[in-house]
Amino acid sequence: MLRSLGALVLLGLAAISQAKSSSGNSVLVLIQPSLQQSNFSIFFDNLEKQGYDLTFRAPKDETPRIIQDGIPAYDHLIFFTPDTKSFAQDITPQTLVEALGGKTNLLIALSPKQTPLSSLAAEFSLILPPPGTPLVSHFPVRDTPATVIPIDVPAAHALLTPNTAPVWFSGVPYVLSNSPLLVPILHAPAESFASDSDKDSGADALFDAAEKGGEGLWAGSSLGVVSGFQTKDNGRVTFVGGVELFSDEYATKELSKGVLPGNEQFARDVAAWTFQEKLVLRIDKTSHHRVNETTPREHYTINDRIVFDAHISHYNPTSDAWEPYSGIKDMQLEFTMLDPHVRTALLPVAGSPGKYSVTFRAPDRHGVFKFVIDYKRKGWTFLSSSTTVPVIPPRHDGYPRFLSAAWPYYAGAISTSVGFVLFSALWLAGEARDVKKTKKTE
Amino acid sequence: MGVLSFLLLPLVAAAAVNAGQLTVQSPRFTVLSSDGSQLRSEKISLSNISPEPVSLGASDTLKLTFQVTDKEGGDGVQPHQTFLRFYDETTGEEGIQPVKVTPAGKAKFDLNMARPPSSLPPSGEAPLKVSLILGSYVHKPAKVDLFDLVVPASLPAPQHPDEHTFHPLPVISHTFRPEQKVPPRFVSAVSTAAVLAPWVVLLGLWGTVGAGVPRLFSPSIFPFTLSLGVIEALLLWYWVELRLGQILLYGSGAAFLSAVAGKQALASIGAHRLSRK
Repeated sequence: MLRSLGALVLLGLAAISQAKSSSGNSVLVLIQPSLQQSNFSIFFDNLEKQGYDLTFRAPKDETPRIIQDGIPAYDHLIFFTPDTKSFAQDITPQTLVEALGGKTNLLIALSPKQTPLSSLAAEFSLILPPPGTPLVSHFPVRDTPATVIPIDVPAAHALLTPNTAPVWFSGVPYVLSNSPLLVPILHAPAESFASDSDKDSGADALFDAAEKGGEGLWAGSSLGVVSGFQTKDNGRVTFVGGVELFSDEYATKELSKGVLPGNEQFARDVAAWTFQEKLVLRIDKTSHHRVNETTPREHYTINDRIVFDAHISHYNPTSDAWEPYSGIKDMQLEFTMLDPHVRTALLPVAGSPGKYSVTFRAPDRHGVFKFVIDYKRKGWTFLSSSTTVPVIPPRHDGYPRFLSAAWPYYAGAISTSVGFVLFSALWLAGEARDVKKTKKTE
Repeated sequence: MGVLSFLLLPLVAAAAVNAGQLTVQSPRFTVLSSDGSQLRSEKISLSNISPEPVSLGASDTLKLTFQVTDKEGGDGVQPHQTFLRFYDETTGEEGIQPVKVTPAGKAKFDLNMARPPSSLPPSGEAPLKVSLILGSYVHKPAKVDLFDLVVPASLPAPQHPDEHTFHPLPVISHTFRPEQKVPPRFVSAVSTAAVLAPWVVLLGLWGTVGAGVPRLFSPSIFPFTLSLGVIEALLLWYWVELRLGQILLYGSGAAFLSAVAGKQALASIGAHRLSRK
C-alpha cells in the first residue's frame, strides 16, 4: 500500500525542475544494511532525476573508496549509516575531513547511538546529548509516538523553499555553538527535549539529569536538528539528527487529513545547499587601474586615485551556468598593509551586471599594499581575493612643478636671458657716437 | 521501526483518548526580598495573563507553586514533562528549566536572583515571557502562559571572536597629511613686480641716452642676433619641456650656427669701425 502511494506521489511530482550542482554530480551513498534502499526511493529518485550519479555502498565494503590515490573520488557523500559503529578502513573522521578539504560535500544522518559520525559532529561544534536520548515532544497531540515529531519549517530561510509544510522528524537534537561557520537550518520545537524515558515515571530522572549533568537539559528551540557547516574552503557538510526524515514513510505520512508533509521538498532543499547548488558565488576576476586609465600599473604613487573592479557570478542550478550577480549590497574592499588603511563599500555598478567598482585615494604612506575582498555571510560561499600592489613615493619629477611662490625667480631668470639678447643686439647693431668735445672756455 | 510504530498506533491513540487533559491548579507566585519580606504575592489567573509584569531586583527571590492535576478526575498527577520556559521575544533567547513535581502533582520552583539558574537566558530591556509546558505520555499536554518577568539586564550572550567578520565592518578612511601651504599669490605678484622694476629704469635710461639699433637688420648682424635669441629660446624650451638628450642635440646645433654667424658679425663690426675711422 505504501509503495503504490509512493508511486502516485512520484507521478504527481514528475515535473521536477532540473537542478545541477556546481561542483560535479558523482555521489557515493553509504547506506547501512539494516536500511533498505527502496525505503528512501523518493529522495534518491529525485536526486537521480536532477542528474546526479548515485553509487551505493555498505559501510563495511572496501570499495569504492572515498579517497583514491590521495584525491577524493566522489564529489558528494551521503551517510545513511546512523547506527553503524565500525566502518571500512578508508572511512574515519580524519579521512572525511580530508575529503571535505578536497571539495567533497557531506550529508550525514545521526542517531541517538554513539558512532564515529557523532564524534565527527562534535568536531564541527555540535554538542550531542548523551547516547540513547532521542528527541521527544508531547506537542501537538497526535497519533504517532512521542519520538516522531512534526516540526514547522521556517517560512523564510535563505536555503529553504518558502512556505514548506511541516516535516516529520525522528532522531537526536544537538546544541549549536556560536561558531559563525554553522548554518542552522531547522531548530527543534520549543516544547521538545531529549529524553530516554518512555513513561511518565521518568520525570524524576529527567529532573535529576538536568540538575546534575554539567551541560544540563537538551530542550527548547535553541536545539538544532538539521544544520549545515561551511568550512573556510567552502566545503559544506550538513548534519541531520535522524535518517527517517528522508524516508518514503515520512514523506507520505499525512499531517492531518489530506495534508502531506514537506519532507520531500525539505530533503531536496537540504541536499541542494549541501551539494553546492544554491547560494554559490565566485569571483570571476578583479582588476585595478588609475582613474582615467584602463590598464593596471605595476605600481601606484601615493595619493593616486585608484579604481578597483570585481566581477562576481552566482551559480544558477536550473541552467547549470554561472551568471553575473549584482545582488550583493554590503561587500567591502580593504586596502591593507599589515592593517587596513582604507575600507570602503564595494558597490555594484548600475548597468553592468556582476561588476562591482569603487574609486578611492591611495594613502600617503608608501609600501606594499593588498586589495583584499573578504566577504563572508552565513549560508553563502565565502569570497576572498587578495591582489598585491606596491605604492611608491613620487619620482623626482612627480612633484608639482610650477609654483606660484616661484614667480619672482622665473621673472628674474627670464629677465636675465632677455636682457642678454637685448644688450647683445644693442652692442652689435648700435652706432657709437663720438663724444662732442667741449670747448674749454677761458 | 516503521512497522513497530504502526502496531503501537491503536494503543497510543486509545491511551490519549481515555486520559484527561492536564491542567494547573492554584498557581501562585510570591516575590520575596533579600531579607525575607514579601514584596508581592498573587494568584495567577489562567484565563487572562496578569497585566503587570513581575519585576525582580538583583537580590529578590521568586517562589512559584502550583499543582498539576487531571482536568476530569481532579487528582494530582506527576507528568513526564514539567518545564518552565523563559523566552525573550526580541532577541529569541530561550531558557528551559525543569520543575520537580511530587507524585501528588505538587510543584515548587524558586528563582533566586542572587544565584540565578543557568537556564535563565540573557535578557535586556524586554520582559521575559514565562510559560509552563506540561507533557505526558498518558494525559493530553498543556501549555500555560504564566506572567512576564523583568529581571536585571544581563551581559549579552558571548559572541564568537570571528562573528564580527560575518557582518559589514566599520568604514576606515585614511587621514591624509594636510596640503603643503603656499604663500598668497598676491605676495608673489608683488615680488615679481619688484624683480621686474629695474627693467623700467633700464629702458628709461636707454631712451634718454638715445640707444638706437640702425644696423640691426643688416645681413651680417641679424643672423647672429637671431641665433643668440634661438639659444635663449632653446633654454626656455628646455626648462619647460625638453629632456637632456634633446637639449644637448639641439643646443650643439644652435651653438655651431651661432659661432659661424658670430664670426661673420664680429668681422663686419670690425670692418665697419675701421671704415669709419
